[in-house]
Amino acid sequence: MTRRWVGRAYVAAVLLFLYTPILVLVVYSFNASRFSTDWTGFTLAWYGRLAANQALLEAAGNSLIVALIAATLATVLGTLAAMAIHRYRFRGRGLVKGGLYVLTVSPDIVMGISFLVLFVAVGMPLGFTTLVLGHVTFCLPFATITVLARLKGFDAHLVEAAQDLGADEPTIFRKILLPLVRPAVLAGWLLSFTLSIDDVMVSFFITGPGFDILPLRIYSMVRLGVRPEVNALCAILLALTFTMVLVAWLVTRERTQK
Amino acid sequence: MKKLLCLAVLLTTAATAQAASQIHVYNWTEYMPDAALKRFTAETGIKVRYSTYESNEAMYAKLKVMGAKGYDVVVPSAYFVNRLRTEALLHPLDKEALPNFDNLDPALLDKAHDPGNRFSVPYLWGTTAIGVDRAVVDPAAITSYQDLWNPAFKGRIALNDDLREVFGMALKICGHSINTTDEAKVKQAYDLLAQLKPAIAVFNADAPRLPFLNKEVVIGLIWSGEVFQANSEAGKQVLAYVYPKEGPMPWLDSMVIPKNSPNKAGAHRFIDFILKPEIGKMISETVGYATPNRKARNLLPEAVRNNPVVYPPAGLIENAEFTNDLGPAIALYEKYWELLKTKN
Amino acid sequence: MTDTGWFKTLAIGLITAWLTVFVAVPNLLVLGASFCARDEARLLAPIFTLDNYLRFFNPVYFAVFARSMALAMITTALCLLVGYPFAYSVARGGWAHKNLLLLLVIIPFWTSSLVRTYALMILLKANGLINTALFDIGLIQAPLRMMYTDAAVVVGLTYSLLPFMILPVYASLEKLDGRLLEAARDLGAGPVTVFWRITVPLTLPGMVAGIMLTFLPALGMFYIADILGGARSLLVGNLIRNQFLTSRDWPLGSATSMALTLIMAAMLLVYSRSAKALSREADL
Repeated sequence: MTRRWVGRAYVAAVLLFLYTPILVLVVYSFNASRFSTDWTGFTLAWYGRLAANQALLEAAGNSLIVALIAATLATVLGTLAAMAIHRYRFRGRGLVKGGLYVLTVSPDIVMGISFLVLFVAVGMPLGFTTLVLGHVTFCLPFATITVLARLKGFDAHLVEAAQDLGADEPTIFRKILLPLVRPAVLAGWLLSFTLSIDDVMVSFFITGPGFDILPLRIYSMVRLGVRPEVNALCAILLALTFTMVLVAWLVTRERTQK
Repeated sequence: MKKLLCLAVLLTTAATAQAASQIHVYNWTEYMPDAALKRFTAETGIKVRYSTYESNEAMYAKLKVMGAKGYDVVVPSAYFVNRLRTEALLHPLDKEALPNFDNLDPALLDKAHDPGNRFSVPYLWGTTAIGVDRAVVDPAAITSYQDLWNPAFKGRIALNDDLREVFGMALKICGHSINTTDEAKVKQAYDLLAQLKPAIAVFNADAPRLPFLNKEVVIGLIWSGEVFQANSEAGKQVLAYVYPKEGPMPWLDSMVIPKNSPNKAGAHRFIDFILKPEIGKMISETVGYATPNRKARNLLPEAVRNNPVVYPPAGLIENAEFTNDLGPAIALYEKYWELLKTKN
Repeated sequence: MTDTGWFKTLAIGLITAWLTVFVAVPNLLVLGASFCARDEARLLAPIFTLDNYLRFFNPVYFAVFARSMALAMITTALCLLVGYPFAYSVARGGWAHKNLLLLLVIIPFWTSSLVRTYALMILLKANGLINTALFDIGLIQAPLRMMYTDAAVVVGLTYSLLPFMILPVYASLEKLDGRLLEAARDLGAGPVTVFWRITVPLTLPGMVAGIMLTFLPALGMFYIADILGGARSLLVGNLIRNQFLTSRDWPLGSATSMALTLIMAAMLLVYSRSAKALSREADL
């Protein structure tokens, strides 16, 4: 079917568009020039410097941990919220939906400063916890709205039938709704992780002295010029991600083959 | 009972020892070489925890809401030292704890933003002036900021995305102070800039050398260190740094101690360490800007020590006006900046 | 439904509590600040004033808002045009490993956006990869000016926001029942009709979600636009940042932020009302 092959070609083209800058990024991690974006020669020096750059590596590690935890919490909370909004008519339902949209519009700076004021007012020390709380908050609407969109248009009779058969809410959630919305939950998690790992403005205001995260380190380099060391770090993180994805794919493939 | 007391004493001393054995430094990334930080820890046993910010303004906002606590050493630019000082957010320096203070060049001390250097110690400094792509423009033909208005450069001009620098340049052309709060003068500067606006290619928000090296622009405002490093790496003079007749705009970054810093003793030791000549030399060489430390400057290789790009001829800086804090008058500049940006 | 189970209470309670603490309270603070007067030393003076809102009636602010809106709308439209067929093909193209494809879409965005933007710059600059390649082939004699143009900004923003369109659309598309499409075709409908009358209405919730999650963040983005566009004009994000950080006028910044939120809320409300009238699927 030519239609199918047109579709596949299109997917490949879009992926090419998405990966071209990534390829450039990786190639330039071997660029000998520190001060310009011209190619002046091949070198592994940046990878060597990266290995010795404890601060950068620690910041990267912190970012990963915060992103993993925040994305997971946001997805759990978001899925429950989407389910509540979709299924229950409760007072304040409109406000909840409104609140989620307000979150998506909120400029980063305003969110960051208002959170900082809040945390300082209640005397909460800045650092890992405040970061996670902040990140979960701005990831929440992305997870919720994605799952909610999938819930719409689902046959309400399925749920009614389950209820007639005596199923209680947790069971309906676990056995019927959750499996149905799984792709949306995954999509929500991926979006949340993406948002969290690269957030600059909100994180700047709510992180504490001594808990540094990668995006802040990188954005702060802008004044003096971003070193290719950072490209090297991104290239390594990409390699790690791809390896993990490959391993996961091989493992699940073997299981289904068996 | 006695055991409990002993335990309590032990724990509190342990806690304070912990606190005393580390300092939090707040600065730009890459603005302090790792090697210097490691040496400090090796010499004093105090760990350095380094956090970063991307602009003076953001750092100020955060420090203010936090009540000037959490960080031990911060490195603001001069006009922010002024702001932090006038708002009583800084801890006065104990000069007795800073024996190396005398290594500093007196020409950079006792400036308007911190008379007597009660609160700040100069760290690195530089100037902003005109940068030119040698391959396209003859540097000898450029003598004034006004040359940027030459129609031959249309669409190939870079300015920095910094309203003080851009308006500073225009105010200098008009012969006014770059710290004026007189609306008529600021408007005059704005009118001049409005003529230039269509010819500007970019208000650069990152390293000013990039638009030049990317061959997008041929002339514009640039910082001294950018030119020096670009030329050093290329091994030849790709960019020229021109001091216009109105004079360059110097800037100075200083180390300060916030009022509620958790480890003031450690902060003082750190600042004194940075003031050592060999450390000053290391910092200047790694970061690429001028050191305010006379002794450090003497340790630098001849080619750098007397390089006019990094160390401008003495007369130029003596009476040059440093950018100063404007207080509420900043709103005036912001108003005209918005007009400039939204103009076509 | 008169179900009063603990699960329901938990689900509703959790989200309400979280939003109250982390959305309602901070936004009330911002709202309060927007009615205060500017104070040099304390950042805010608790003096009631409407000044900050009155300053909106100013052609400069109007121009800034208009530009942000236009940019966000164009970006969203492009994301939809590029992203929807992509999501459609992944969902229904008979791929063996759909989840892998989704991962491939999102993985590039786990690198720093600044580094990615510099990579775009390396491609677009006057002595960059694209210009050098075209020059070497002989297609051009002088470099194409791609940096510091509106086109570069749109490309950069679309690039950054594409996954935020693709993923929600995909999540909704994935459940599309192929049999419905087959049935329509069996009844004689041509491919265009099948698309407009069946596919689009059924995938509308996903599209609406994707549009929301692309358009709303796009309004506030300015950093990438500045690097690729040359920062010659202001976007709402620049304005708010300048007000908070450069001018240190927190009340004004709060008011601008509130105004942005209110305008968006009004637009969403209008959309919601009209969508309800048309179809339940299109509702937010």
